[in-house]
Amino acid sequence: MKNFTADIVIGLEIHVELNTKTKLFCGCPTKGNEEPNTRTCVTCLGMPGSKPVLNKKAVEFALKLCLALGCEISPELIFSRKSYFYPDMAKNYQISQYEIPLGKKGKLKLKEGKEVGITRVHMEEDPASLVHPAGMKDSAYVLVDYNRSGNPLAEIVTEPDLESPEETRDFMKQLITVLEYLEIFDVNSGIIKADANISIKESGYTRVEIKNITGFKEIESALVYELNRQIGEAKNHRTIHHETRSWDSESGVTFSLRKKETEEDYGYIIDSDLTVVEIKNEWINKIKKGMPELAQDKVKNFVSNYRIKKEDAEIIAADKEMAKMFESVAKQVDANLAAKWIRRELVRVLNYNKKELNETGVNEKHIIALLKLIQNKKITDNIGQQIIEKLVENPFDVNEYVKKEKLEAVSDVSELEKYCREAIAENPNAVEDYRKGEAKALNFIVGSVMKKTKGKATPKEVNEIILKLIKL
Amino acid sequence: MKINEFIQQVKNNQVDIIEHTHKVIEECKKINHEYNYFNFISEELALKQANEIKKSIKNNDKSIKNKKLLGVAISVKDSICVKGVESTAGSRILKGYKPLFNATVIEKVIEEGGIVIGKTSQDEFGFGAFSTNVGLGFKIPKNPFDKERSCGGSSGGAAGLSQKLNNHIALGESTGGSIVEPSSFCGVYGLCPTYGLVSRYGLMDFGNSLDKIGPIGKGIQDAALLMGTIAGNDKNDSTSLNSDHIDYQSLLKEPVKGMKIGIIKESFGKGIEKEVDKAVRKGIEKLEDEGVITEEISLELPIKYGIATYYMIATSEASTNLAKYCGMRYGKSDKLEGNFNEYFTKVRSENFTEEAKRRIMLGTFARMAGYRDAFYLKAAKVRTIMINEYKKSFKNFDALISPTAPMLPPKLSEIEKLTPLQNYLADVMTVSPNVAGLPHLNVPVGNSNGLPVGMLLTGDHLQERKLLQLGSVFDRN
Repeated sequence: MKNFTADIVIGLEIHVELNTKTKLFCGCPTKGNEEPNTRTCVTCLGMPGSKPVLNKKAVEFALKLCLALGCEISPELIFSRKSYFYPDMAKNYQISQYEIPLGKKGKLKLKEGKEVGITRVHMEEDPASLVHPAGMKDSAYVLVDYNRSGNPLAEIVTEPDLESPEETRDFMKQLITVLEYLEIFDVNSGIIKADANISIKESGYTRVEIKNITGFKEIESALVYELNRQIGEAKNHRTIHHETRSWDSESGVTFSLRKKETEEDYGYIIDSDLTVVEIKNEWINKIKKGMPELAQDKVKNFVSNYRIKKEDAEIIAADKEMAKMFESVAKQVDANLAAKWIRRELVRVLNYNKKELNETGVNEKHIIALLKLIQNKKITDNIGQQIIEKLVENPFDVNEYVKKEKLEAVSDVSELEKYCREAIAENPNAVEDYRKGEAKALNFIVGSVMKKTKGKATPKEVNEIILKLIKL
Repeated sequence: MKINEFIQQVKNNQVDIIEHTHKVIEECKKINHEYNYFNFISEELALKQANEIKKSIKNNDKSIKNKKLLGVAISVKDSICVKGVESTAGSRILKGYKPLFNATVIEKVIEEGGIVIGKTSQDEFGFGAFSTNVGLGFKIPKNPFDKERSCGGSSGGAAGLSQKLNNHIALGESTGGSIVEPSSFCGVYGLCPTYGLVSRYGLMDFGNSLDKIGPIGKGIQDAALLMGTIAGNDKNDSTSLNSDHIDYQSLLKEPVKGMKIGIIKESFGKGIEKEVDKAVRKGIEKLEDEGVITEEISLELPIKYGIATYYMIATSEASTNLAKYCGMRYGKSDKLEGNFNEYFTKVRSENFTEEAKRRIMLGTFARMAGYRDAFYLKAAKVRTIMINEYKKSFKNFDALISPTAPMLPPKLSEIEKLTPLQNYLADVMTVSPNVAGLPHLNVPVGNSNGLPVGMLLTGDHLQERKLLQLGSVFDRN
C-alpha cells in the first residue's frame, strides 16, 4: 500500500462499453431493438450447453485503448470466470480477466499535465440489466433484460492518484476524449460507469467504495457529496466505515450497501471454454498503424501547423468534434480567428448551456459562414457573439439569418457619422465631461451609438468618429 | 448383422425404416422397463426422422447414398442437448427443460441419417462411476449381465443399451472415465476421443476442460463409424481442434504387426481384482499373437496423482458450471419467495443430490482465495506435468495398456457401502488419460462368471485410429 499524504485520495474502476457491432462472446447485435430480451441467443442467455466464442474486434478495440494509455500489453489474452450469484448474471459467473490483464502500468495525462497511473485494463462481458419497475428501493420485484448481457466492456483501474472530485471529473473527461478519438466508444449512447474509492486524511484513509456512478458529469457530484459526508463524520468524531455505498443520482446522495469486513471472494478460475489468444507483435503493430491521431498529438499539430496558442489548441483538441471542426474552419478562414472564436465564444456558450458540441447540431458550415462574415467585417464581433448564442440553441443558415434580421455592420461612414452626431447632441453633459478630461465619458457616447445601431457598428470605428467630431 | 450391412439394406429399401423404427422404440421401452437405460425415449422425433428418410428413399433422393448413419438408432447421453427433447443431464433441477438448439454432434448425426431414439440415464451431471448418483426422482440403470450389479457410469444408460440393442450406437460423454468405465462393465466398445476432437457445443458442462463426447458401440465398427461422423472442427466451440477428416472404419482392417505397446506396471497387481488382472493379461497375449510388441513401463506419477488432480480441476470447474442452475431461466422453478439469494438457495438445495452438493462445495472450496494456490492452481500445474509424462512415453509407444476398471461390475448393494473416497478410487485407471486429454478405448477382453472385463488402450493426442486398429483385433467376427 502507498503511504498517502494527500488530503483526499481517490482511485477509480471504470467500465466502458466498447462499441463493437456484436457482443463479446456471441453474434447478437449490441444495439438495435430496444424491446427487452430480443437481442439474445443461447450464449448470452447462458443456456446449458452454450459456449462462448470470442469477438476479435472487441480485443482490437481494447488493445487500442491499452496502446493509447501507454500500457504494457500481455502476450496472451486469458479469460477467467468471476463467480457470484446475482439475478443479472446469465451464468452466475462473469467472463472476465484476473491474474493477467490485457494491459497494465499505463498512464493518462490530466489537463494541467499531472499523470494518473493506470493499474490495469482488462476485458469482460456486461451482465444483463435489471429493471426495477417502482424504483430501486421500492420495487417488490425486478425484471431482467438480457439485451445488454454479453456486451463487451473494458475495465480500467487507476492508481489512487486523484486528489479531488474536480480532478476526477477531469480524468473522466480526458478518458472519454481518448475513447472518442479511438472511436471505440459511442459518446452519445454508450455506457460509461465508474466505481470510486475515496478516503480522507482525517479518517486515516479508511476506504469507501461508491458504486454505480454513470457518466463523467455525475462523478464529480457523487464525490463531492461523499467527501462532504466523510468530512462531516470526521468533524463530529464519528467513525467512517470501510464500506460499499451506492450513488443515487436522483436524490444526489450515497447510501450504504454493505460493510466490508472481508473482501469479496469471487473464486476465480480460468475459463477453459475459451482458448488462450496469442497477442503477437504483428497484430499490435497493425493496430498501432491504424490508430488515429489522439488529442495530445493534435495539440502539437495545431500549434506547429496552424500557429495557434497552445492553450487554445488544448481546449479545442479535448473535444474530438471541436478539433474536427477547427481543422475544417481553419482551412477557410484565418486560423487564429478560428481558434479564438471556437475556443472562446463557442466554448463559452456551450458551457453556459451545459451542452456538448455534438448535442447542438452546430457544424463547421455554420462556423465558417459566421467567421467569414466577421473576417470580412460584414458583421461586428458583437453580432457574431449573439449569433453563436442563437446557433447553440437551434442552428440555422447564418447568411440568411444575417440578411433577414438586417444585421450587417454599418460600414457607411456618413451613416455612422449621422448616428454619432445625434449621440453627441443628445449627451451634451458627457461631451462636456470628456472635454474636462474624463476619458470614461467617451464610452458613454460610444455606447449610445452602439444602442442606436443595435450593435451593428464597430466600437473602435465609432470611437474614432466621435473623437473627430468632438475635436472639430 | 453388421452395422454397414444394415445401413446398406436401408439404402436399398430392403428394410422399411418406419416399421423398423417402431420396432426399435418398442424394444427400447421393453429394455427400459427392465434396465432403466433411458431418461426419455424420443419416439416422436425418431418416427418423424424415419418418415423423412422413407420419403427421401421413395423419391430416389441422391443424397441418401452418402448418409453414413442412415436408419441407425442413436441414443444420446442425457447431458447432450437435443432440440425440443427434454434434456436434464440426469438432474431434477433441469426437469422439463427442452433445449432450444441441437448439440453439434446431434446436428451431425441427424445430417447423416442417424435416428435419435432418446436420452440415456447417467449419474447427475456425470458425477459418478456407477450410475448410482442419479438425480432425485431418476432410476438407477442396471448391468445388462446381472441386474443386481452396476452398469458403471456416468454414461451407464448408454453402455447398457449398447449391449442390449442392435443396430444402435450410443453417444456417451466422459469427464474422468465415464465412457470407458461403463463400457467395461457392460462389455462394449467405448471410445473417448482427444479433448477438442469432437465439439462440445450443446454438451451441458461438468468439467469443461475435461469433457469429451464419444461413441459407445457393441462392435468396434459401430464405435469407429460414429467417431468418424462426429469428429471435426466447430466454430461454435472455441476449444474444438482443426483436424483432418479420418474414415476410422476403413482403417480398422490395417495390420497391427510391429506396433509398440507399453504395459503400465502400476495398474496391475495390488488393488486389482484377480479376474480382471487375468483377463487383461490374456488380452495382451492376444495382441502379442498379432505381432504387437509389448514392454512393461512405469507411469507412477499419473497413477499416483491422477485422482487428486482430477477431482480438484473437475470439481472447481463443475462448481462454476452448475452455478447457472438456480430456478430462474429454465428447468425447475419454485414459488418466488424471499430475496434472490434465498430463492436460489431453496431451488438448489431441493433439487441437487447430495453428491452434486458435495462436488459443488469441494470445487468452491478449492478455488477460494487462500486455497486456490494450494488446490486449484497446483492441480493445474500437476496436470501439465502429467501431460509431459505421457508425451514422453508416446515417443516410444503407439499405445499404453491397463485394465479399464480395477474391479468387476460391483453389486449395487456393495456400492451403497462405499465412502465417497472409495467411490472416487474406482476411476483410478481412467482419470489420468482424461486429465491429459488423451484418447482412450475400452476393449472387452473376456468374461469372469458371466461378467465382462475391459482393457484400456490409451493413445497419444489425435491417435484414435491406432486405438481402433488395436481394438479391432478383438472384434473380427
